[in-house]
Amino acid sequence: MEIAISQEQGRVPVTIFHVTGEINTETYDQLQTQAGQSLRAGTRYLLLDLTQVSYVSSYGVRAISHVFNLLRDSSESQDILSKGLRDGTFKSPHLKLSTPTPHVLKVLTTSGIDMFLEIHTDLTSAIASF
Amino acid sequence: MEKGRRRRALLGANVGHTLRVSAQVSSLIMMRRFVENTTGALQASLAAIADLVQAVDESVTNIIFHGYQGRPGDIEVEMRKEQDALVICLRDQAPLFDPTLVPPPDLTLPQEQRCLGGLGIFLTRRFTDAMGHRVTPEGGNELTLRKNHN
Repeated sequence: MEIAISQEQGRVPVTIFHVTGEINTETYDQLQTQAGQSLRAGTRYLLLDLTQVSYVSSYGVRAISHVFNLLRDSSESQDILSKGLRDGTFKSPHLKLSTPTPHVLKVLTTSGIDMFLEIHTDLTSAIASF
Repeated sequence: MEKGRRRRALLGANVGHTLRVSAQVSSLIMMRRFVENTTGALQASLAAIADLVQAVDESVTNIIFHGYQGRPGDIEVEMRKEQDALVICLRDQAPLFDPTLVPPPDLTLPQEQRCLGGLGIFLTRRFTDAMGHRVTPEGGNELTLRKNHN
């Protein structure tokens, strides 16, 4: 897996991880590590561009959830988050996904990732949505 | 004869195809390629191939991490085409464990509060049409995954 990083300035500064390859048992920690480094460097709004991701395993899903937790505001308590997830009223303002392949989208939605992360069908609208 | 057709003819639709790998993370890519190539040769749809690769990868990952838990061992995958389905059997000699008894995860719980391996089992169940477990005569696990033809 490779991660190329770019920055876009919308209403807020958005860091984009352009991920290539598989997010699987062997690579998931690379995504987590890169996200942690980016956060320490000041990133608050992160977009994962999944256009070139050919496969996401359950470990990849966990890695995306881990990144979501890293980016959560301290004001987003677990109780508020859990209620929002059950009500369908919560979507992370800090982490979003774009342009997964059909199978990767199926994995993400089956895993429930779309319950708390927006998944956009094109990069431009994804950047504009922050 | 065109390359793909020759490969399908060589594989034969009704013959079981078997791969045995060591229970290591580095074996997963070999296992995924085997499932991808064999299901393709058995003329499965692209969607069915993707689902079966995912299901086998998740199941084998669980066997490596939660079955063998770092101990040495082998995992065997056997694939065959039946009249109405593709059938995959995974066999191992790890401690007995029946994943069909694991309840589905609560997707609204944070990851750290969920059962280890639960998401992989959940995806396997959702991406196949049937999942069964039995104890082999040798005392090991046999997990059977079935994907119906559309």
